[in-house]
Amino acid sequence: MIGSIFQDALKNLTANLLRSSLTMLGVIIGVASVITMIAIVEGGQLWLVNSIERLGTNLLFVWKKRLTVEERRIFAGRNTQLRYEDALAIRERFPELDVAPVLEIDQKIKAGDRDYSGRVTATSPEFSTIRNFHPASGRFLTSTDLHDWHRTIVLGQTVAQALFGSSPALGEEVKIRDHRFTVVGVMEPKGEIYGQDYDEMMFIPITTGMRFFTGTNKIRFLILHVPQRERMPEITEELHQFLVQRHDGVDDIFIRNQGEFLGAVEQTIWTFRIVLSGIALVALLVGGIGIMNIMLVTVTERTREIGLRKAIGAKRRDILLQFLIESTTISIVGGTVGIVVGIVAAYGFGNMVAQAMPGGGDWGAVIQPSAIAIAFLFAIAVGVTFGLFPAIKASKLDPAEALRYQ
Amino acid sequence: MLIDLRAVTKTYQAGHVAVPALKGIDLRIHHGEFVAIIGQSGSGKTTLLDILGCLSHPTSGEYWLDGENTNVISESRLTTIRNQKIGFVFQTFHLLPRKTALDNVQLPLMYAGVPRVSQHRRAQELLTMVGLQDRLLHYSNQLSGGQQQRVAIARALANHPALLLADEPTGNLDTQSGKDILDMFETLHRDGQTIVMITHDPSIAQRANRRITLSDGQVVADETSDLSASARPISSEQT
Repeated sequence: MIGSIFQDALKNLTANLLRSSLTMLGVIIGVASVITMIAIVEGGQLWLVNSIERLGTNLLFVWKKRLTVEERRIFAGRNTQLRYEDALAIRERFPELDVAPVLEIDQKIKAGDRDYSGRVTATSPEFSTIRNFHPASGRFLTSTDLHDWHRTIVLGQTVAQALFGSSPALGEEVKIRDHRFTVVGVMEPKGEIYGQDYDEMMFIPITTGMRFFTGTNKIRFLILHVPQRERMPEITEELHQFLVQRHDGVDDIFIRNQGEFLGAVEQTIWTFRIVLSGIALVALLVGGIGIMNIMLVTVTERTREIGLRKAIGAKRRDILLQFLIESTTISIVGGTVGIVVGIVAAYGFGNMVAQAMPGGGDWGAVIQPSAIAIAFLFAIAVGVTFGLFPAIKASKLDPAEALRYQ
Repeated sequence: MLIDLRAVTKTYQAGHVAVPALKGIDLRIHHGEFVAIIGQSGSGKTTLLDILGCLSHPTSGEYWLDGENTNVISESRLTTIRNQKIGFVFQTFHLLPRKTALDNVQLPLMYAGVPRVSQHRRAQELLTMVGLQDRLLHYSNQLSGGQQQRVAIARALANHPALLLADEPTGNLDTQSGKDILDMFETLHRDGQTIVMITHDPSIAQRANRRITLSDGQVVADETSDLSASARPISSEQT
């Protein structure tokens, strides 16, 4: 009997096509927005996690704290800087860590009649593995480069392009200020991550940088790679103590954990997820109210039919089931269309974001089967919930009165 | 005995005023009778039809249908009684639009839980009996009034009801179609079908073999035609 009731429901819906479609529109919009919202949030999260992983994982960043005037007066004469020797000392004390000291020098680079203004990163060979950023041709910096203050340089894709066009850069000479550098490597394309365009970077040995450009042993920051994630807190603590000790007891450094950053990002995403799901559910709720409205109208319109069905033997539950199936059919059909619309909208929106966002080229909506299932189940639940009241109303009609309803 | 009404009253509540529609009806109808209930509008004949059809309960008194006291049974059982023992024919046909003649006749069979294949066979058989074998798949709104009423009769007979209850069955039909329907009732009656027909028209009532006249909620006349009485199957008198 369910089968024929379902057929009846479909027939009744097609008989009032315009009305049914408008009612379904509420469900369609609701389901589509649930799917689109989830797909966008998931896509955003995937993109963030990916880009964090491209930066390298399990990283610690050591920065120098800015001291107040008062503190500077008190600590005058103490060793309160982050220096290249700190990096060397860390390497000795924590042999399991990869350590990359970083110094940044803003300079104009010349090659023949072309030049490029940018930021030169003076660092050590470890930088490449720590940041998961490798040369496409040639090599990265080596320990020999550092040891002998070699004037070698490794160029990012964009820089190589700007200075040498399509001809090979490897082995060519560039000039920074009055110093000649030999190009020993060109990096792989990596794109932009968090506002930093990796293709615009260039690398020289940190020792060379200190000797020819800054003239001091101060560095800007340190990046460290911890082999085991679970040891990060412990190492952070030990490292902090070690550095304070080296700095004559002055606590002038702070250590940032990449995981903390990831956590903050994930928290933001959760907020987004809750807000957007809320909006989507409100849309679905409005769709449900639309269903209830139209079902109440339908029950009133079909009072005589209900009276007749009861007179010839339909029990309360038969009538209840009939109208419940009808409202659920609206939500199932609406939900199915909504899924399709939602998927199309999610991909469309994903492409839009990918094009609009700098460095968002690999941004895409992520549609998970679970999201589709959730949206669909919600739609059915809405159909049943909001169809229940009209269906109960129909099932309770008095047959004698219903038959003569005008 | 099929129908036994004992001191049945029905009072409607219109706001704070109680309106009596039936004021104590005693009535017995046997298996195989063809009874017309006649009365002007407001005489209580529609209220009586509702009670006979188990569509509503009397306010007081008892209604025994086929040996069962309908006052004391549940709504669900009452629905089953309507489905199994009563076939309704209405003035306005009450066919479902957007459904074929076949679908309409199958409806009471579906509610009776008859398997689909048997539903189909029985409905086809009934529609052939009322002369609509070539209209099986017509939608009810594509049929003439007379044809629609014949579909309704086929539907009423689907579950072999003990009682065929007709409410002004010819009221919405032209003279010829009305005559056809009454002829069909007579044929059914001859085959042993109990029929109770409600009408305001004495000439139509003449087709029945017993006429009960209602006025102001009471039975004022109950006459049986001798001619038709002899046609009544004697065997059913015993039950």
